[in-house]
Amino acid sequence: MSDHRDEKLESLLHSRRVEAARLDLATRISLKAQTVPQIQNISLWQSLRQLFSELHLPKPGYVLASALVLGMVMGFNTTPDNSTIQDANYTTTQSMIPGDEGFL
Amino acid sequence: MAIPWPDKDDHELLALVQEGSHPAFAELVRRHTERYYRLAFRYLQNREAAEDMVQDAFLKLWEDPHRWHADKNTKFTTWFYRVVVNLCLDLHKKKQPSELNEDMPIIDDRESADEAMQRKQQQIALEGAIAALPERQRTAINLCYDEGLSNQDAADVMAINLKALQSLVMRAKATLKERLKSYL
Repeated sequence: MSDHRDEKLESLLHSRRVEAARLDLATRISLKAQTVPQIQNISLWQSLRQLFSELHLPKPGYVLASALVLGMVMGFNTTPDNSTIQDANYTTTQSMIPGDEGFL
Repeated sequence: MAIPWPDKDDHELLALVQEGSHPAFAELVRRHTERYYRLAFRYLQNREAAEDMVQDAFLKLWEDPHRWHADKNTKFTTWFYRVVVNLCLDLHKKKQPSELNEDMPIIDDRESADEAMQRKQQQIALEGAIAALPERQRTAINLCYDEGLSNQDAADVMAINLKALQSLVMRAKATLKERLKSYL
């Protein structure tokens, strides 16, 4: 009796119905994937290389020479300021003395 | 000469998917959609939900193909069964199981109306009884009675040994036999 029930259960389990999927399911999944970007798995080494490539100077010699020339031009164009702190203090003190006392 | 897609094995296709190849992904999907849909349907008992589940699983793979590690010495199909089972169980935990589909087609048209009705009732009772099983027993039954999956494969999917799987199946069948008494 129990064997019969076992067999019946086995056959029931094997005959489980599955409603068929729509025929274009695989196509739909593939098409949908075309709209989804992949996550890039970048290692530390790759990310460092990427960072350095962003800072890469195409012609380092020219860049260095241009920087030097620019620095010199800016240096020559700046008026030298030789005043010291003492000069500044003197000026401040002078400005505080009233006009008459200045002549004394 | 390049090997055509159908001649490449799953692992070769996955390596190409990891490089961003859409045709390789399409071939992988074409090859395996049906089996994962079948499994998802057994959990969800609803065509749209099962289709969406399989689509989600494949899109997750496409989005981040490096989740798959070829060096793990695991078959892709086993690993992906695990992914689909986990997604189905997660969904099952989140929402109440859908009602069993009473409009599920009866395949054998030669059956009389009475036989067809009886068979339909049997199916509904069986699906209800399986849905009420504890999670691991349900998974064991769903995997073991899936065509093309050996007991060892099913054990691998569940990350348990063969004996543990057989024990789960035995307990599940004992419960089902009790619950389906009137149909057996």
